[in-house]
Amino acid sequence: MKKVSLMPLIIVFITTVSFTLFQAKPWNAPADKAKVVNTVKSSAASIAEGKTLWSTHCASCHGKAGLGDGSKSAQLATTPPDFTKAAFQSQTDGSLFYKTSEGRGDMPSFKKKIADQEDIWNLVNYMRSLKK
Amino acid sequence: MKIFIYYSSLTRPLQKYFLAITLLFGTSQLIAQDTININPPVVKKKSFVKNTFDGNYIIDNQTAVIPIKGTFEFDIQHRFGTIENGWKDLGGLFANANMLLGFSYVPFNDLQIGFSATNDRMQTAGTIKYALVKQTKNNSMPLSVTFFGNTVMDTRAKNSSLPIINVQDRFSYFSQLIFARKINDKISLQVAPSFSYFNNVEAYYDIHNVIQSKTNNGHVAISVAGRYKLTDGMSLIANYDQPLTQHPMNNPNPNLALGLDMKTSGHDFQIFLGNYGYILPQNNNVYNRNNFSKSQFLIGFNISRLWNF
Repeated sequence: MKKVSLMPLIIVFITTVSFTLFQAKPWNAPADKAKVVNTVKSSAASIAEGKTLWSTHCASCHGKAGLGDGSKSAQLATTPPDFTKAAFQSQTDGSLFYKTSEGRGDMPSFKKKIADQEDIWNLVNYMRSLKK
Repeated sequence: MKIFIYYSSLTRPLQKYFLAITLLFGTSQLIAQDTININPPVVKKKSFVKNTFDGNYIIDNQTAVIPIKGTFEFDIQHRFGTIENGWKDLGGLFANANMLLGFSYVPFNDLQIGFSATNDRMQTAGTIKYALVKQTKNNSMPLSVTFFGNTVMDTRAKNSSLPIINVQDRFSYFSQLIFARKINDKISLQVAPSFSYFNNVEAYYDIHNVIQSKTNNGHVAISVAGRYKLTDGMSLIANYDQPLTQHPMNNPNPNLALGLDMKTSGHDFQIFLGNYGYILPQNNNVYNRNNFSKSQFLIGFNISRLWNF
């Protein structure tokens, strides 16, 4: 009688369980934070300020153009998302402010390092400029 | 045989001066603390120019910049030997080097205090830095003006070969006013007059058996430094220090330095070529013997690691 190898079945099982159990938890900003309105109007000056901050604090993980391909990205447990895509850009400004400010997991909190809230809004405006 | 005698001067007026500055600045900052941490986010009108320089240091001098409140900084500084011996000591990398480890903290907005230690004569330093005024975006205040001061103690054990008789012989002081302007996003400049004071200076007996000091206790100098940003993370930096006081002898040489500054979210790294071989500013300003006209340059670096609490 022909023996049936269980190995392919085991691989399929482990893969399925992994995707189910270990997929990244969705990260949603609290509703009240997501509704916060951007108080810094997007402008060339604001985007330039945001770009400087991006280069210093964000580019090493998120990449120069926000593609998630920064030099440190391979070492992270969470793959940084592509900021140029609609999935990212569909978030509200308030949501981006909250996530930048508070952080989660690999993503550090920047509310102390970038203490002026206007600067975080400048960063949000720069993130918007990455949209393709 | 030459006879070297060292003598002391009164330190109390200077100690009072530093104490008064500490109390004055500390008190004014305590009053100003209640204006932060507004939640939900409400943006106040930004008025001050930011990032005039990339960190606390520009080669051998302090910048006008003070990190944000709650920043703890760890500094590692290194000055190798002069490059004039070429391959013999790999451009000074294998020669005797001066090193400094330092810590600083910003307990209140615009005030930084610190402590450092260097292998050069086993000196330790307490530092204070305070932003007196800051350049505004609308140019109503065109300059930033920052005070930097330190008190340094030579902690070597007392012995007959050292010029240390009393405790006050161990102390020296440095005060500097730093006038800085961020001219545009790429170029920043600062001019910083300074006053160094050594309680204990070298002296000798003249032919009439009278003690004559080789240098004055006080020394005035001026520094000019600048930054040109090559990219958002990298800048070209330059520094020139000119001694102004004329001493009876042993006049120090000026310093010319050029280097690169690389900044990340938590680090500031500078590597440069210059004449100053010490690290504490009063030692450089008063004792520098390296001469740029004789190509007596050396490699140095400053590394700063910053944490925000």
